[in-house]
Amino acid sequence: MAIMNKNYLFGSSSKWTRYAPVMLLVPGVFLYIMIALGPSLATTVYSFTDASGLRGAPVNWIGLDNYDEFLFQGAVSRDNIDATLRTLRFSVLVTFIQFTLGLILALLLNQKLRGRTFFRTLFFIPVILGVVIQGLMWKLFLQPRGGPMASIFETFGLQSEFLGGLPGPAFNWVIVVQIWANVGVTMVIFLAGMQTINTDLYEAARIDGAGGWELFRSITWPQLTPAINTNFLLNIVGSLQAWQLFLVLLGYKPGTQVLGYLVFAEGFGQGDSPSFRQGFAAAASIVLFLLVLVIGFVANKYVNWREERYMG
Amino acid sequence: MTSKRSLWMTLLVVFALVVAACGGGDDGATETTAGGDSPATTSGGGDTDTGGSGGDDVTLRVLIHQNPAFTEYMEAFNADFEAANPGVTVDMSIVAPGDMATSIQTRLSANDVDVIDYCVAPCAGFSNAIQPYMTGVDKPAWQQLIEANLIMDLTDEPFIQNFDEATVRDAVSFDGKVYGINMGRNALGGMFVNQTLLADVGLDIPATWNELVAACETLEGEGFACMTQGGGDTWPIFVGSFGLLGAEFPDQEALSEGLWTGEIKWNEGEALALIEKFRVYATEMLEPGVTGLGHDEATARYAAGDVAFLPTGSWQGANLDGFEPEFDWTYIPFPGSDDSADNQYLFGKYDLSFLIAEDTPQPDVAKAYLAALSDADNYQAFVDATGFIPTQPAATLDSTIGEAVSPLLDNYRNAFEQIWVAPTGAGQWANAWQGAAWFAPFNEFEDAQSLADAAQADLEAGLSG
Repeated sequence: MAIMNKNYLFGSSSKWTRYAPVMLLVPGVFLYIMIALGPSLATTVYSFTDASGLRGAPVNWIGLDNYDEFLFQGAVSRDNIDATLRTLRFSVLVTFIQFTLGLILALLLNQKLRGRTFFRTLFFIPVILGVVIQGLMWKLFLQPRGGPMASIFETFGLQSEFLGGLPGPAFNWVIVVQIWANVGVTMVIFLAGMQTINTDLYEAARIDGAGGWELFRSITWPQLTPAINTNFLLNIVGSLQAWQLFLVLLGYKPGTQVLGYLVFAEGFGQGDSPSFRQGFAAAASIVLFLLVLVIGFVANKYVNWREERYMG
Repeated sequence: MTSKRSLWMTLLVVFALVVAACGGGDDGATETTAGGDSPATTSGGGDTDTGGSGGDDVTLRVLIHQNPAFTEYMEAFNADFEAANPGVTVDMSIVAPGDMATSIQTRLSANDVDVIDYCVAPCAGFSNAIQPYMTGVDKPAWQQLIEANLIMDLTDEPFIQNFDEATVRDAVSFDGKVYGINMGRNALGGMFVNQTLLADVGLDIPATWNELVAACETLEGEGFACMTQGGGDTWPIFVGSFGLLGAEFPDQEALSEGLWTGEIKWNEGEALALIEKFRVYATEMLEPGVTGLGHDEATARYAAGDVAFLPTGSWQGANLDGFEPEFDWTYIPFPGSDDSADNQYLFGKYDLSFLIAEDTPQPDVAKAYLAALSDADNYQAFVDATGFIPTQPAATLDSTIGEAVSPLLDNYRNAFEQIWVAPTGAGQWANAWQGAAWFAPFNEFEDAQSLADAAQADLEAGLSG
């Protein structure tokens, strides 16, 4: 194989040779600064102000007041802590179930089955629908008056108000929709991982008398480590930040808010507050960020340890 | 060294270009008129002619909220406005009522809209102002918009004179200036009554709470539903109970002040009795399955004819007519009290108001648009189409809902949601006036005392904060 001369890309000028790689990084770095780092830093600064988010409105520095209100003031702090705990519960359940279901689907659809392409497409389709479409579909599906799910429940002598009823069941239905909407991605990542596994390993193991469970435990699971780690982190971070489905499916319903929805509601005048409070929303989003950071850090440490153990 | 400098210079140029691109020097994305006559802001008669724009194309960006009868009227109005003003195109966006706050906040800040229908919850003009007895509360959204100089001062515009003085003062004024036109009032504390169904089962229209409870029992015994509601949208549940609130506390300003000063407590006396009535309304009177119905869907469901009552705002009158129900209906104050004298008040609110963005690139066209909306003939057409209670002295209520509501207007009062602002730090249950939406099957409470105690505790947490 011919080795590419670096001058082929950057010309023969030594100046270009030295600086061209840096120059090529410039657009990416600027995009990152403009759409990721910049807004993140601005959010941090905003969290110490009474900003409304309106152009031309005065912005005053109020120190830690937003954090004080969020964490310690009156009964609203209790509601905020509840929302934080609810966010954690949502994340744990979604991560665990979506991960497991995605793995099972991938294992099934990695077999030489008739119609597997169709089923792969079927399970992935929800991913490409927008959140609003996903939400509206499920709102219709979960109509308590003669909706399809109500009819299924009726068959078993059950009844539910689904999304419009008690906060607990309504919250659980959002978990179901969140998993349905995203399990396709988890499945595809696992499928991609499975297809990189050398089939000779399975063949050799079968000759040695390994059964299905042995093949999975000793070959598939360790060899899937990169896919497992990716899915684990994506599921955790994605579920901690989820809020759109709560807006579409439940709106402002006491007892169901998660932190992401609370940030949106406070910042854009959607909650009980009749005001635009982007400073307070920024403080709430920093709390959410810290939560993601701590959990993400621990999860990352775990997956690194796991990768080291299985992949060397 | 020179190379390093050129590298940094290049980086700076790229950064400046990116910032310039993001900043956008354009005052709005519309095509603006260049030269030509400014549209006249006065109008005469139904054929409103704003004078055109001198031949150059102008796009007027209008933002309104979804309400079938209202949006249908606006589409027809826009067509007439465009026909009367060659070169003017109205680009109207329609969003769900719940999304109005976000749309107004973002589009005004981006200077991406010229005329807005200010219908931010509770969609009640410039009400819910901070009262002298309220301390440490946030400014309402409309005040934030005005103080950010995002709304145009219309004090001296002649079309403002078309509206009655009290409306201009109470619904669209702040600090001595007028910022919009309020298109009408709506009753909240009433309910639609299916007179045909009541007659079929031999019932009179209930005049007291006890009669209503008895009527519901009779109806259900006959296999009919007592009430339906848009429970899936949550807010219709408590809006439907505003009549109960009004019947128990006819002086709602006193209720607001009493809650703030501690003279009235949610978990004592009349307030506790009110919350018990909320429970009966939510758990016993509403038909099963309303948790899945949206606001407009509930009206469609009601139009089917086998439900006796629909407690909601009078704005649904025009929509109900649109479904062409095969029964006679009327609209009455919710009979929430055992004393029929307390059930005579019609609680309501100033509904949507049109405002103009301060930085609109075509202020003359925007003013002409509001002038045309204010024109007496156009306004009458608006009232006829939507059933809003007029805020122009000359307009009349000729619709079905108008006929029902007109005799009650002498007893019209502002509803509680226009007055109340919760203290900062109050918990989620402090707004117990929404309590009907927190009973099963909609939320976790099953008895009035528990909800009342939670509400009072959450309120006091804010008051003492």
